[in-house]
Amino acid sequence: MTQLIQPQIVWTAAMSAMFLPLIAFGLILLITHRWARVSAALAIVAAGASLACSVYLLATLHDVQIPLRSTQTWMMTSDFRITFGYLLDPLSLLMLVIVAAISLLVQVYSLGYMTGDPGFARYYAFLSLFAWAMLSLTLAPNLLQLYIFWELVGLSSYLLIGFWYEKFSASEAGKKAFVMTRLGDVAFFLGILLLLMNLGNLDILRLNAPETTDRLSPGLLTTAALLIFGGIVGKSAQFPLLTWLPDAMEGPTPVSALLHSATMVAAGVFLLARLFPFFNASPTAMSVCLAIGAISMLMAATMAMVADDIKQVWAYSTISQLGLMIMALGAGGYAAGVFHLTTHAGFKALLFLCAGIFIHAFGTNDMFTIGQAGARKRRIPMICLIVAAAALAGVPPFSGFFSKELIMARLADHPNPLWLIVGLLGVWLTAYYTFRLIFVMLRPRPGVIPQTAEGHAHHGAHRFAEGAMNVVVLLLAVVAIVLGWFEKPISAFIVAPHSALAATGGHHAWLLWVTLALAASGVALAWLEFGRRTATQKGFVEKMPALQTLFANRWYLDRLYRRLLDDGIYRGLSRLCAKNDQKVIDAGLDELAGGTVASGRMIHGLHAGMIQYKLLTISIALGLLGIYLLF
Amino acid sequence: MNVPLTHLLTLAGGLFFIGIWCAVTRRNLIMVMLGIEIMLNAAALAFVGASLRWQQMEGQAVALFVLAIAAAEVSVGLALIICIYRRYRTLDPAKVQ
Repeated sequence: MTQLIQPQIVWTAAMSAMFLPLIAFGLILLITHRWARVSAALAIVAAGASLACSVYLLATLHDVQIPLRSTQTWMMTSDFRITFGYLLDPLSLLMLVIVAAISLLVQVYSLGYMTGDPGFARYYAFLSLFAWAMLSLTLAPNLLQLYIFWELVGLSSYLLIGFWYEKFSASEAGKKAFVMTRLGDVAFFLGILLLLMNLGNLDILRLNAPETTDRLSPGLLTTAALLIFGGIVGKSAQFPLLTWLPDAMEGPTPVSALLHSATMVAAGVFLLARLFPFFNASPTAMSVCLAIGAISMLMAATMAMVADDIKQVWAYSTISQLGLMIMALGAGGYAAGVFHLTTHAGFKALLFLCAGIFIHAFGTNDMFTIGQAGARKRRIPMICLIVAAAALAGVPPFSGFFSKELIMARLADHPNPLWLIVGLLGVWLTAYYTFRLIFVMLRPRPGVIPQTAEGHAHHGAHRFAEGAMNVVVLLLAVVAIVLGWFEKPISAFIVAPHSALAATGGHHAWLLWVTLALAASGVALAWLEFGRRTATQKGFVEKMPALQTLFANRWYLDRLYRRLLDDGIYRGLSRLCAKNDQKVIDAGLDELAGGTVASGRMIHGLHAGMIQYKLLTISIALGLLGIYLLF
Repeated sequence: MNVPLTHLLTLAGGLFFIGIWCAVTRRNLIMVMLGIEIMLNAAALAFVGASLRWQQMEGQAVALFVLAIAAAEVSVGLALIICIYRRYRTLDPAKVQ
């Protein structure tokens, strides 16, 4: 089989998968930005071709044992060599297909969602840039190339979150996302530098090799791993840098779908999976992963229990699910984490896109209002939303069930039972808050039916637009239903290069039933409180005001950061810097200028045309000359 | 017993600076010229001291020349000062423009 693969064709396919969206981005910005439809068509064609190349690569290379690399030297010094190129192994192939597929679907969906927006062409240009950055990130063969595209992903998500830049909250959210992820990226970059100084190369395959990890001292290894994990925390919105993600829904809904499923936040988990053997060599780093994942998962789940904004609920659930993936990876479950990333990409995109249809139709984000306005009458998005929610809650036979099952089995193998308990609690919370939203929308509170603010008329163009949106959500719903059954082949495919790490855990038959019972009880509680005919639609959290305010205020994290910023940075550090600027730098320059002027004043008295002053100057000059010559 | 050369040179240097000081600071042309005379005498003193130190007569000869030149210079200078006074009715160099 290996002999049949043409390296030339693989090279072409990988390059086109990587660079077609970039070409679309350039063409749209330079040439076609006036013609909205041409730009959209260009972007979609590029994304489609990119998807075709990715699928071709996956189909050709799926049983190749050795990862394929192709690199060119970009920079060389005596100490290290930096290369550019691509790396094709199961993880990058799988991620490549996910990213290309979700990008394409989101772009098709946006045809409907963004119709008539004045920035239509710009929107598609940014989506293409986003797709290019993420596709190249997945194929990066070394950490430096990965870091470059990592930053490009951050930049394009900043551009898209702040897409409606006239809106103050949107541009603020974009800035917040950029700055908070930058905080993590600084740590990531320091980690890269540390590795570069100590190892002299940043090649991912070599970093993952046991010879390399043996060469580093344990302390250094842990430090480097934790620094890189800092970048993951920022990108994947984990505790303590999680507050940017809920604000990031200020962007258009399809952008949120892309950002939350396959591109921006998935990049963090992808990096952790990419360097999994490296992280695995440091038990401390793995424990930190477990702890951070667990904290973020529970925190975000509690926030989701009281949120009324439909997109915000999904944003919190993204943080929570990413926390679960990081926990899985931290517990050593490579296949479990990556498989959950895969299924999550599908159903989270579906959740956001369905929510987008409702938001587009009713012009509001509030789930109670959407319910009252008649969400249940829209059959297709409602059914798809329920499918996706069931997948998120871990209800069989949807995809989320299978991946969560894998993760729980992995956590059960961990010697510390605390993590399993935390994981199960997370499962219950997820089922509860997901179905809270579903029941609120299915059983609207009796009340005044608000006039739909936008009232999108149903003429021809809009029918096409809604058709595009519906087709996309139906496709994704099918994926959410079917993907779970491919658990075995996908896991086997991913684990292939890491066969040493794929320790088979014990079989836990009881765990399956416990997980199922917890998910079911979460759904049942949601039904009791929100779904019954006589339900008060008040959750048990809302009956405890203290908890309610705590969760609704996001555990006061934003408040705390604001306080730190105001007191620590603005009042402390910035003021000292301002003082230094005024009193030392400015005052020093002023003194220098003043001194020059004053000495000029002193000397100009000598130029009064007086013979005696000239005599004085001559004798002083001669005296000084004499001193100079004699000594 | 000979006076050491350093003492003589110190005296000559002191006189020279007094002369400069007088020539530069005084606002009277006669005093300025007096300062120049002091400087000339300081130089002559240095020559005499040097001739004493090396037992050569040329130094003393030069001192005699200096005295002669000083007398000539004073006569020319005083004549100029009288002319200036007649013309400007003042001896302040700042006002003689």
